[in-house]
Amino acid sequence: MPAAPHLKPVEDTVPMVHGEVAIGEDLEFQRRWWRFERIVWIAFALIVLLDLLGVFGKGYFAKGHIHQGPVEVKFERVERLGTPSIMTIHFAPEAIHRGTVQLWVSESVVGDLGNRRIIPQPESSTVGNSGVSYIFPASGGRSSVLFALQPASPGVFRFALRVPGVNEIRSRVVVMP
Amino acid sequence: MAAILRAAFGYCFLIFTVRVVGRRPGKQMTPFEFVLIFFIGGLMLTAMVGDEASLTNAIGQIMTIAIMHYGIAWLRQRSPRFASMTDGTPLVLLEKGQWRIGTMFNSRITDDDVMAAARDKGLSQLAQVEYAILERNGEISIVSGDR
Repeated sequence: MPAAPHLKPVEDTVPMVHGEVAIGEDLEFQRRWWRFERIVWIAFALIVLLDLLGVFGKGYFAKGHIHQGPVEVKFERVERLGTPSIMTIHFAPEAIHRGTVQLWVSESVVGDLGNRRIIPQPESSTVGNSGVSYIFPASGGRSSVLFALQPASPGVFRFALRVPGVNEIRSRVVVMP
Repeated sequence: MAAILRAAFGYCFLIFTVRVVGRRPGKQMTPFEFVLIFFIGGLMLTAMVGDEASLTNAIGQIMTIAIMHYGIAWLRQRSPRFASMTDGTPLVLLEKGQWRIGTMFNSRITDDDVMAAARDKGLSQLAQVEYAILERNGEISIVSGDR
């Protein structure tokens, strides 16, 4: 024989309005919630505004630009996880020696920042010194090398670039989740 | 690990956002609500899945959301305060011939919304409504004066 269900007498546990309709309204809580909602809407608006300005990447304030002698680097200071971006390195004619440009990049460019492709393809690449050295054939005039990046994990990552005869270029990139 | 955390965060963030967006009256969703729900759901989906399109990932994330849903339902049952935070509280919009102006304004509800609910109950005038209550699920309940 099945067990009898547990029973409990019904009581008026839901607060009433004017002692006649059980509604369970909590107006004090609701007033606090409306105040909280107004703060949240302001916070949402600020976050969207900061996003539009590029504080979280892909905008004006996310653009990074470093000029060091004959080398100029343009990159995204703020990246987004799994989102492609381009780091461009411009070389003035003074950076070209014997028809080639030598560039050393730290391991973080290949690892943390997720380098997927280099345009143009380097003539040679050599690993060592906690990074990768590339040699690109170059004719006279200003030339550029592009690194297609796609970070695979969030965080703050430092990177460094080195060109013979030029002070090392160091900076950091924030990768948003 | 990251996929599980993304699913848990996405679930909490969606609950919070939908809660803040507020209740809208009506038994069925209008196109306005359809767009909101499907659009934010779709946007969140891309971030949740990312490039991990495996069955393992999908099952892991679904189970995460199931556990979180169970946890929230458990908390709601035990804590009236938590239940008020997730679902809100019923609100009186009209009582004995008087509008509650502040509640109407903050809930973004008009007298037309209340009258629509009254018609649904077979009433033809607002004067016949003794109480109008905005329920936690967004519906407007009507208590008529001739009860």
